[in-house]
Amino acid sequence: MNIRNLVITAFRSLAKNKMRSALTSLGVIIGVASVIMMVGIGSSARIAVRDKVFTYGANAMSVTYRIKPFYEKDIEYLRRNVLQIKNITPVAARETVVVKYKNRMMRSRASGVNNEFFTIKEWPLQYGRYFTFLEIASYQKVVILGNTTRLELFGNTDPIGKIVLINNNPFMVIGSLSELGQALSGRDQDNVIILPYTTAAVKISGTRSFEEIIVATYSEKMINDTVTEIKEYFRREHAVPRNQPDDVKVSTSKEKLEMAEFISKTMSLLLAGIASISLIVGGIGIMNIMLVSVSERTREIGIRMAIGAKKNDILTQFLIEATTLSAGGGVVGILIGLLIYFAITAAVGWPFVFSFFSVFVSFLFSCAVGIFFGYYPAKKASSLKPIEALRYE
Amino acid sequence: MSNRVIDISNLVKTYQISEEVSVQALKGISLKVKHSEFVAIMGASGSGKSTFMNVLGLLDSPTSGRYVLDSIDVSGLNDNQKAEIRNYKIGFVFQGFNLLSRTTALENIELPMMYRGGVNAGEMRDKARGLLSLVGLAGREGHTPNRLSGGEQQRIAIARALINDPAIILADEPTGNLDTKNTIEVMNIFTRLNRELGITIILVTHEPDVADFTHRKVVFRDGEIIQDTPVRRGKTAGRKK
Ligand SMILES: Nc1ncnc2c1ncn2[C@@H]1O[C@H](COP(=O)(O)OP(=O)(O)OP(=O)(O)O)[C@@H](O)[C@H]1O
Ligand SMILES: [Mg+2]
Repeated sequence: MNIRNLVITAFRSLAKNKMRSALTSLGVIIGVASVIMMVGIGSSARIAVRDKVFTYGANAMSVTYRIKPFYEKDIEYLRRNVLQIKNITPVAARETVVVKYKNRMMRSRASGVNNEFFTIKEWPLQYGRYFTFLEIASYQKVVILGNTTRLELFGNTDPIGKIVLINNNPFMVIGSLSELGQALSGRDQDNVIILPYTTAAVKISGTRSFEEIIVATYSEKMINDTVTEIKEYFRREHAVPRNQPDDVKVSTSKEKLEMAEFISKTMSLLLAGIASISLIVGGIGIMNIMLVSVSERTREIGIRMAIGAKKNDILTQFLIEATTLSAGGGVVGILIGLLIYFAITAAVGWPFVFSFFSVFVSFLFSCAVGIFFGYYPAKKASSLKPIEALRYE
Repeated sequence: MSNRVIDISNLVKTYQISEEVSVQALKGISLKVKHSEFVAIMGASGSGKSTFMNVLGLLDSPTSGRYVLDSIDVSGLNDNQKAEIRNYKIGFVFQGFNLLSRTTALENIELPMMYRGGVNAGEMRDKARGLLSLVGLAGREGHTPNRLSGGEQQRIAIARALINDPAIILADEPTGNLDTKNTIEVMNIFTRLNRELGITIILVTHEPDVADFTHRKVVFRDGEIIQDTPVRRGKTAGRKK
């Protein structure tokens, strides 16, 4: 029999049992739908994460040390000599402090910085003002609150001009920041207090050194050169012997981005992997039903053989049936998966990413599932002996 | 080409039931059937008639013996070749009709031609319609077996047996499940096929009335042919209808 007639025959057989065909495909439908959904959500999450990493500042980098801390002169040197640097701020007293206002008390993360910090982080004020030059130069005890800290301590009342106790030192609130939301790690980025770096170093950590330097370049292309120059400067400055590793570590947004990409990519692979298991379970479902169908249709197979069907005709017919069920299930699954994925992104406010590749691969995979799991039942059907199949009750 | 459709000599069929027990269902049968013959095979239950028909139809292989069908020695053929011979040269009519359920009359009739291949859908449809009216069921194209009476189903089965212009029709108790009226109708169709189209027909029956429609009566007993005689005219009253 030619392939066209076999396809017609297989389709007629499936149409005879529409309900069963639909139920048989259900496993594959669910499997493919979950693969499409998971892969989609994975890529959406990746984009969402990427946006978050960039809120740190697109061309920003963070310099931290291992042995020798940073001083004012390092900032001055870098600002003057590394021409690619657009903004630079020290970060002093990067530690958790106790903040009190009247009878309210909470723990917050302190950072002592200069005004460029807000530019680098692209983090605008909501109320009040930035530090003045004088406040920084003369170690004034002023503070800018993060959104969470402000809400916790002041609720809806105006915080500007009020005095809070930070590790039992009185500080005057001069401003409060807009909301930034959660960091990648889940940490609340708004539970912070921002101090002048001078005040923070002396009053909070009790030194004149800084723990971190944050730098932003004019453009992304300058990042690599800047990293090199900063490292070279500190090798000299910290007198690192030639055979020793750098004393400073420079991490860029790009690195963080790559890290985040790696994590979310691993996550989506994992999700897709779990989803594929359901696809395989769907395939086993097809095999199961096809096996039942072969024994149920033994007599039909006998009739077909008696009137001239060859082993190969029977084999091909059953394979086409199984593959049609799984490929059809694949198509329906893809549509349902995309629909649910779209609904989820719309609800959460994530971007919708259509991946032709994942649609194509899911379709191919569902066809393969049909052929793979359909082969055994088909082989079984085709190896029946005509006379025994005909006599089968 | 010889004028023999079937030329069988010394056909033996032994069923091995267990290691010690075996049943010899056919004990060296020899039979020749010419073109356009109409043969009835009779005999007690268990005498080997169905076994013989299954071997004739290449549904089962004999244990030994020679079988030439339409000038082809079929003893040494493989499964695919046998399937092809069944498709091209043999039309089966079974006692239990053996139509595909939930499949229309027309599609049932077309089935052997589907497996033959190389015929376009239109031709196939036309031929199936022609046969449907030949068996007196024009207008029932779309009916599935569960909406047809036993007699009608058997006529569909006859049409199916005819679609590939077989050399021979093999019918094992084709009227076994039918009442008298339907039996006569089916036998009239066989008679017409034999007389007008010259189709060779071999049928198994327990009923002498059915055998009377044929021209030759072969009687089996315990796996052997004990009688092979022409049917006398005059007793075949039903044929005139
Ligand atoms: N598959 C089989 N395995 C073992 N023995 C079988 C098998 N088929 C038939 N036989 C035996 O072969 C003998 C002939 O059986 P067969 O079916 O040919 O008889 P029959 O003449 O068609 O009988 P009936 O008129 O009842 O249909 C019987 O003894 C039967 O038991
Ligand atoms: Mg029998």
